[in-house]
Amino acid sequence: MTAVLSTHGLIARYGDFQALYGVDIDLAEGEAVALIGANGAGKSTFLRAVMGLLRVAPDMVRLKGQPIGGMATDRMVQMGISIVPEGRRLFTGMSVEDNLRVAVDQAQRMGRKGGWSLARLQALFPILKDKARTPVESLSGGQQQMVAIGRALLCQPSVLLCDEISLGLAPKVIREIYAALPEIRAQGTAVMLVEQDVGLAQSASDRLYCMLEGRVTLSGRSAEVTRDQIGAAYFGGSHAVV
Amino acid sequence: MTSIPISPASAAPAVTVRRQTTSGRIALTLFAIAILALALMPWWAKTGTIRMVLELCCYIAVAQMWNMLAGYAGLVSVGQQAFMGAAGYAMFVLAQTFGVNPFLAIALSLVVPAVLAVPCYFLLHRLDGPYFAIGTWVVAEVFRLVSTNLGWVNAGAGMSLTVMKDYSAFQRNIAMSLLCAVMILLTIGGSYWFLRSRYGLALIAMRDNPVAAASQGVNVKRLRFMIYVAAAVGCGLAGSVYFMAQLRINPASAFDPMWSNLAIFIVMVGGIASIEGVLIGTAIYFVADRWFGAYGASYFVVLGVMTVLVALYARTGIWGLVSRRWDAPWFPIRRHLILKTEEKP
Repeated sequence: MTAVLSTHGLIARYGDFQALYGVDIDLAEGEAVALIGANGAGKSTFLRAVMGLLRVAPDMVRLKGQPIGGMATDRMVQMGISIVPEGRRLFTGMSVEDNLRVAVDQAQRMGRKGGWSLARLQALFPILKDKARTPVESLSGGQQQMVAIGRALLCQPSVLLCDEISLGLAPKVIREIYAALPEIRAQGTAVMLVEQDVGLAQSASDRLYCMLEGRVTLSGRSAEVTRDQIGAAYFGGSHAVV
Repeated sequence: MTSIPISPASAAPAVTVRRQTTSGRIALTLFAIAILALALMPWWAKTGTIRMVLELCCYIAVAQMWNMLAGYAGLVSVGQQAFMGAAGYAMFVLAQTFGVNPFLAIALSLVVPAVLAVPCYFLLHRLDGPYFAIGTWVVAEVFRLVSTNLGWVNAGAGMSLTVMKDYSAFQRNIAMSLLCAVMILLTIGGSYWFLRSRYGLALIAMRDNPVAAASQGVNVKRLRFMIYVAAAVGCGLAGSVYFMAQLRINPASAFDPMWSNLAIFIVMVGGIASIEGVLIGTAIYFVADRWFGAYGASYFVVLGVMTVLVALYARTGIWGLVSRRWDAPWFPIRRHLILKTEEKP
């Protein structure tokens, strides 16, 4: 399997503070990869670095083999990487449909083609059709998350990065959102799930990476990795856990 | 323009996009009539009325440019008078010093704000929020000081447009009326066209959350730059036209911060991020200026207090309050997806 997105010795800093110490992660077409780790492990930093929101060297991030590290965020989207940002970051004051249209307009402008249309998205998440004209801020958290995912999908990505999409949502809603994953992947889109919930991450992904203090401490097939291994990688070597 | 068919994706139902509303169609018709009425002013209005309308049109143009900057691009400028003065001076120099036809000079003078806006933006674009605002003010003051010290624009004494005496009063009225029509068409019509283009929603998204907008593929940097340059040209046009009507220009009037004050008042009170708000705000300002202008300083205090109250308690301005109650936009920019099988709501 060839990697769609890969990082090579990815290093990122916030000023003098180094947050990532040489991270190697790759995603293949249509694959779901989970990225887990405790708070402050560097998961969100990893996504920010990939999306060009932090300065990184070009060669550290590659899309289909091409160096793209540190490019402007909108260029990343143009090349096929979309993000569902943590905390959703919807455009308040706009209706659900207008929020989605931002992505439709931009995809059209950049000439990105793909299988996602507003109508198809509304078939995937019917609530987006019922609430099309509702201001996004009056939606529930789960519904907002669906808007955020929809917005990212309408950019017609080949790689979808999801930053803690289950955060603060009821288990039932989380299941609803994760149920959409197979259809997204069927499109050939590679999905990276950054998750706090280890069980959920493990069951929803093909492979997983565990990070600790800016380094990858464990990687492997989600079905084969044991809880003990994850526990050790999650909290550091010496802890025997769970 | 009412509906744009979208090619349906695999297994997706056929849909159309509805963009225009009844209120929008009525407003668009009225807008076209207004532009026509402006152009035909010499045949129905007195010279005094034309001058008053011209001033009104300049207010609308400057306020709308400020609205595009602050309401959409998130660039709060208090120095747009820099480009009004620069274009005004350019027009005076071309017409008075070089003998270019003054009406051609207005068109040519627009190159100056466009060219000046580029280096200004490169100086200012790293500044954020209030720092950006202060920076723009500094730029305007620098422009004023430079013009005060330039011999070939007659320094602090300013210039007069004596070449205008070659034209009869009626000819000047025709020119003023046409300029009003063109100015409104370019600033209001142009903004509306831009907001309805695929940049429109991107612009609103960008104002709301630049990082998230960039994550949806919006080229935030380039859009901001485009808006800044366009607003400079729009303000320049208003400046050229205004000072041509005044027949005099000097540094104090050309780079008068009053223009920024009135733009802020108009947009904040009328309703930020809406064209409707600019029209409402201008009407209020214009009436207030006629009725209470004689009270001088205390009148400005009242305008300032009004702006602050609106900013604190009704951030969307008068238009925001109106549109919350009646969903009848004059310049609709939203689009609605309608399934073919459905009845239009």
